[in-house]
Amino acid sequence: MIKLTNEQLDALAKDLDAIRDEALADLGERDAKYIRKILRLHRTLEVGGRVMMPFGFIPPVFVAAVASLGLAKILENMEIGHNVMHGQYDWMNDPALNSQTYEWDTVCTSDSWRRTHNYEHHTYTNIIGKDRDYGYAVLRLSDDQKWHPAHSLQFINYILLTVFFQWGVGLHELETEKLRSREIRLRDKLPLIKEFFQKGGRQAFKDYVFFPLLTLPVAPIVLLGNAGANLIRNLWASTVIFCGHFTEQAETFTEEECEGESKGHWYLRQISGSSNFTGGLWVHILSGHLSHQIEHHVFPDIPAHRYREMAPKVQAICEKYGITYNTGSFGRQYMTVLRKIAHYSLPDRVRLKLQAA
Amino acid sequence: MLSSNPIKKSLNWLGRQLFNQENPAAFFDPLVTPINPLWIRGFTPAQVQDIITETADTKTFVLKPSNRWSGFEAGQHVNLSVDIDGVRYTRTFSLSSTPARWAEDGTITLTIKRLPGGLVTNWMHDNLKAGTVLGLSKAFGDFLVPTSVEPLLFIAGGSGITPILSLLETLEKDHYRAPVALLYFVRTQADVIGAERLYALRQRWPAFNLQVVHSQEDSKPVYLGEQHLDTIPGIKARLCYLCGPKGLMDLASDLLGKYGISDDRIRVTFFSAPAPVFTGESGGLVTFSRSGKEVEADDGKALLELAETAKLNPKYGCRMGICHQCKCTKTSGTVVNSLTGKVSSPGEEQIQLCISVPQGPVTIEL
Repeated sequence: MIKLTNEQLDALAKDLDAIRDEALADLGERDAKYIRKILRLHRTLEVGGRVMMPFGFIPPVFVAAVASLGLAKILENMEIGHNVMHGQYDWMNDPALNSQTYEWDTVCTSDSWRRTHNYEHHTYTNIIGKDRDYGYAVLRLSDDQKWHPAHSLQFINYILLTVFFQWGVGLHELETEKLRSREIRLRDKLPLIKEFFQKGGRQAFKDYVFFPLLTLPVAPIVLLGNAGANLIRNLWASTVIFCGHFTEQAETFTEEECEGESKGHWYLRQISGSSNFTGGLWVHILSGHLSHQIEHHVFPDIPAHRYREMAPKVQAICEKYGITYNTGSFGRQYMTVLRKIAHYSLPDRVRLKLQAA
Repeated sequence: MLSSNPIKKSLNWLGRQLFNQENPAAFFDPLVTPINPLWIRGFTPAQVQDIITETADTKTFVLKPSNRWSGFEAGQHVNLSVDIDGVRYTRTFSLSSTPARWAEDGTITLTIKRLPGGLVTNWMHDNLKAGTVLGLSKAFGDFLVPTSVEPLLFIAGGSGITPILSLLETLEKDHYRAPVALLYFVRTQADVIGAERLYALRQRWPAFNLQVVHSQEDSKPVYLGEQHLDTIPGIKARLCYLCGPKGLMDLASDLLGKYGISDDRIRVTFFSAPAPVFTGESGGLVTFSRSGKEVEADDGKALLELAETAKLNPKYGCRMGICHQCKCTKTSGTVVNSLTGKVSSPGEEQIQLCISVPQGPVTIEL
């Protein structure tokens, strides 16, 4: 991370706060219309997908149904659920968009998500040992973490994590690594496990029991289609999220350097630890605007569709202070993620030699 | 209808599993809103049918609630929710029409005066159009017709007449036998709200004694006094109803006490949405309504700390305004956002405890 003086950090905070205040002062009808339009699109895609699915014995209909339901789940998780739970729309006072009561269409309970993501990840972003989202405790992505022979197989972990992403996120707060090290006891996690089975059961019941049984003669098609929709969402969501913090240039931090940090330092860390990717309007919308991960980490509770227009201002501020604004095409950023996962699966000696070559 | 409840219950359970919502029917709201907003399930919708100008600063809004709405008793209030520039505001208003009218044609009326500086009332006056759909709560309030027949005295000031219009018409329709008097204080004759209805009542209801007092007509303002109360026959035996500005209500309570009328014979209801009480200084009494605890605000201390001082354990995370874990409902009062310096509105809304500093009395659902 670039070294800035305390005065520079304070000035940085002031500059970013100014962008934030400008957006906050402008919140209104436009944002309400936008999110309600997305809600309407989500309901249309979900209902459309569910209605088409039983007719999936006709191949093009099957493709349309899976795509429709998959897109519905992506929109709901990323542009609606994730953003609503950040409090981006709380100012609307609409109980249907309340950050503390919204429950989303995925295995992870919203309560667990609000603790692990909104609080832990967004407060301690990329601090090794404090941000459990960094590598999700199954991937080694930094030499701050000691290499272990098991890491050589971490690419398999990665494939499993991305395919079953919603279940992984659902169990994230179980903190299995701390259970293994006996730092915490399973007993402490019983309420979480109960909630996991309730919510996970609800999600599985809907997609793998209720809707298939509802149209029994074509149950296997519906089952397969629903699994396909969940898979599409898992792959897309995990890929977008990995591109947000695990790219080559995204930095990590130690607990020591963040102790008692100022607001300016927090801002600098959020920018340095995040990475954007470019793309068309629909890439932004379907990523829940996590394509603007930097803006999201600097302004987590500003309606995400505004990140597009805030980005040039943030980038200009980064230039002013000489801070790297990490962005690139989706493909390029993703390649660096895959490379990072592969590199850090190797012992440091081999990795350094390879990287030097 | 015996079997419908378990069926309803199981459908509701199923809906919760499928849509992850406590009120699963509301899942379809985004789809039905453009078709027919009266089908909305997330709140009880009511459509504006007509807007009638009463005086220069008062209008009556005729609403048709959806069939789900559970009705009301004369003298009750409702919370009305309106979306203004994307923000939903909820305010309490008295129903000025009678339950009989609602039973007959399904409409209700709210008679609303512009509150100086009030965001919602002014917006309603300037922007609300017939056809708009608003949110309506269940009716509430105990400013109701008496359970037994006895002589009554109503004292109203300004737009405080609205629930009394509903009460009077209901009493007349029920052929209420005991004498009923109304002392109605308005600035000038032009400020009389519901004039036609009041004069029509006087015409057809011999038991009704109407006195309209113009407080600002002459150079010297007229206040409620013994000269008014002495004209009410048998005042000591009357059950009294007060609704008006705070000054008038305080004065009336005082005077009626002097006439030997005990407090339990005086019914009082709130007059209007509380005006912003922003004083520019922090501090004030913080009430946590669920736990019933109270704490005096410390200068500059955020509500999260104050709640913890009161031995409450609200949920929290970052304590710096990022994570929104400590979000709570503020039911009344004004707070200042310590990050932005922005002053909140006085009504019900969601706030972050860790960065909200009370300004004057505040009530939090905790």
